[in-house]
Amino acid sequence: MECSFALVGKGYVLVAADTTAARSIVKMKSDEDKTKVLSPHLVMTYSGEPGDTVQFAEYIERNIRLQHMRNNHELRPQSSAAWIRRTLADSLRSRHPYSVNLLLGGYDEATSTPHLYWIDYLGTIASVPYAAHGYGSYFALSTLDRYHNPAASLEEGLRTLRRCIDEVANRMAIGVGKFKVRVVDKDGAREVELPPSVSVA
Amino acid sequence: MSPISQPTSVAFNPYAENGGTILAIAGLDFAVVAGDTRQSEGYSIQTRYAPKVFRLTDKATLAVNGFAADGNIFVKTVKQRLEWYRHAHAKDMPLRAIARLIQTMLYAKRFFPYYVYNILGGIEEDGSGAVYSFDPVGSYEREACRAAGAASSLIQPFLDNQIYFKNQVAVSGTSHPKHLPILDVLSLVTDSFTSATERHIEVGDGLEIYVIVASGRSLTELSSIAGIEEVTGSASATDRVFVIRRELKKD
Amino acid sequence: MELNGGSVVAMVGKNCVAIASDLRLGNQALTIATNFEKTFPITDRIIIGLPGLATDVITLKERFRYRVNMYTIKEGREIEPETFAHLVSSTLYERRFGPFFVEPVIAGLTKPSEGSVPFIAGTDLIGCLTLPKDFVVSGTASDKLFGMAESLWEPDLGPEELFETISQTLMNAVDRDAFSGWGAVVHVITPDKVITRTLKGRMD
Repeated sequence: MECSFALVGKGYVLVAADTTAARSIVKMKSDEDKTKVLSPHLVMTYSGEPGDTVQFAEYIERNIRLQHMRNNHELRPQSSAAWIRRTLADSLRSRHPYSVNLLLGGYDEATSTPHLYWIDYLGTIASVPYAAHGYGSYFALSTLDRYHNPAASLEEGLRTLRRCIDEVANRMAIGVGKFKVRVVDKDGAREVELPPSVSVA
Repeated sequence: MSPISQPTSVAFNPYAENGGTILAIAGLDFAVVAGDTRQSEGYSIQTRYAPKVFRLTDKATLAVNGFAADGNIFVKTVKQRLEWYRHAHAKDMPLRAIARLIQTMLYAKRFFPYYVYNILGGIEEDGSGAVYSFDPVGSYEREACRAAGAASSLIQPFLDNQIYFKNQVAVSGTSHPKHLPILDVLSLVTDSFTSATERHIEVGDGLEIYVIVASGRSLTELSSIAGIEEVTGSASATDRVFVIRRELKKD
Repeated sequence: MELNGGSVVAMVGKNCVAIASDLRLGNQALTIATNFEKTFPITDRIIIGLPGLATDVITLKERFRYRVNMYTIKEGREIEPETFAHLVSSTLYERRFGPFFVEPVIAGLTKPSEGSVPFIAGTDLIGCLTLPKDFVVSGTASDKLFGMAESLWEPDLGPEELFETISQTLMNAVDRDAFSGWGAVVHVITPDKVITRTLKGRMD
């Protein structure tokens, strides 16, 4: 089952997406990267209709890159989010809408603040402290309600993210496999390793 | 060639929805049970005077709302069961026992339910005012107040605010009253129904408010109410029942 | 309407108007965000409330901003509440056969030279205007809001009394609605300022 999570901490945003590519009941791939680094300080997870997802993510990626090249300046997270949302909202009322759900994490260098946006295929956008997509959200959001701390260090944030993933692995009827985790902060976007799971007594 | 008759299915719907709204509020030593008197089906008014509130005993009043035919039969059957109880035990059934009786009667028809919401109001054996509210299959609860029927969603939040003082903070050093005085309760009832009449097409025409008063309580406040009528059943009754009738808008 | 949830109410007072919305954004029964305001300033004297499908809430907020900016440039003056209400109506009716799923509520005061007269309006999802003199309700808790507003509202309330009335109306209505709540934001527009307050509410 596809799921993705993200959370904001002190000066960073963490995003995570599962790495399974499934077709019906068959697991086709277990190292699919469903995240994208859109610009030096902007990362995104994507999920939804297979085919639409990669097509849309690459379209977004290239346009954000174009914006960066043309203006010799990164588009800020708020503006990127607004443009991506608009692209989805316009697509919704087109002949063939994209059905892609996104979590967008960015670090605004101008104000030195992290931003996280929850965006769905309808073009709904919400600026949130933590977010999730897919069936995993039913477990992860409760876990994050309890453990999320906006002032947490990266280590603490990763531990919280690990709790979410463990909770989903523990409670979901179908296994979710490994997760790809990326962080974005003042130093830009990079991949990080999750701490080992703490056994639930 | 003879025409071949096709099998046709005729769906018979044994239920109707007849609109209207009922409401009950419990006081310290009294209970108020009210209902409008309009009976409708779709956009048609069947009658402007079909009572939905009934005196069961001198300490119990029942309001029924939903499918009128089921409601009438249900009240008739409850009254019959209460009469049998009187013949067997030479006294009226206590309120909490009537509540449990109603539950059993409703649940007995769990798979072909009486399509009605019931609210029972009256006086308990300890002399306190009580309201019991039921769903169509007999789940019930004792509460301080309850609205049911077509305009319940309009009235219930108002009662939460005015009876339970929800979203209101008492002045420091004071607390919200647990029970309201009878005249305040009657004002809330009239206001609830006039408001519901304004905004809901199925509510209106007339309002019947039953007031059940515990024995020993002063009746001076009640005597000031215009047009109040006593409907207590027996001369030896200690708890007393009154009814107040009011007009509601007819459009 | 029930996909994302949310409710808005507007009321007329004496030389003032108030508009309030809840803060929940949901995906059916799951709450996604608790900071999703559904009221948006149009001018210093006009606020629009847009409960409904969240994607359309945002799209329309942006579209109204664009159309009001164009109006301001072309006319060289601020738009009046009544004119704006008709702008909303025609924007929605453009999509008569593929509508935006929102039921807007508009609150505003006319310009001071015309007496700062309170104005409220509501429309359905295809832009049919209603211009009541007392209050407008909209959203998933609209029936509860009708019940509350009909019993609490009275004519000629001052700004503070109106604030209390609209707050109690909204809070008690959304507390009986599973799709609305998680706090509220209230704006009272008076001739010289807009009073904005955020209310805490039940978190269930």
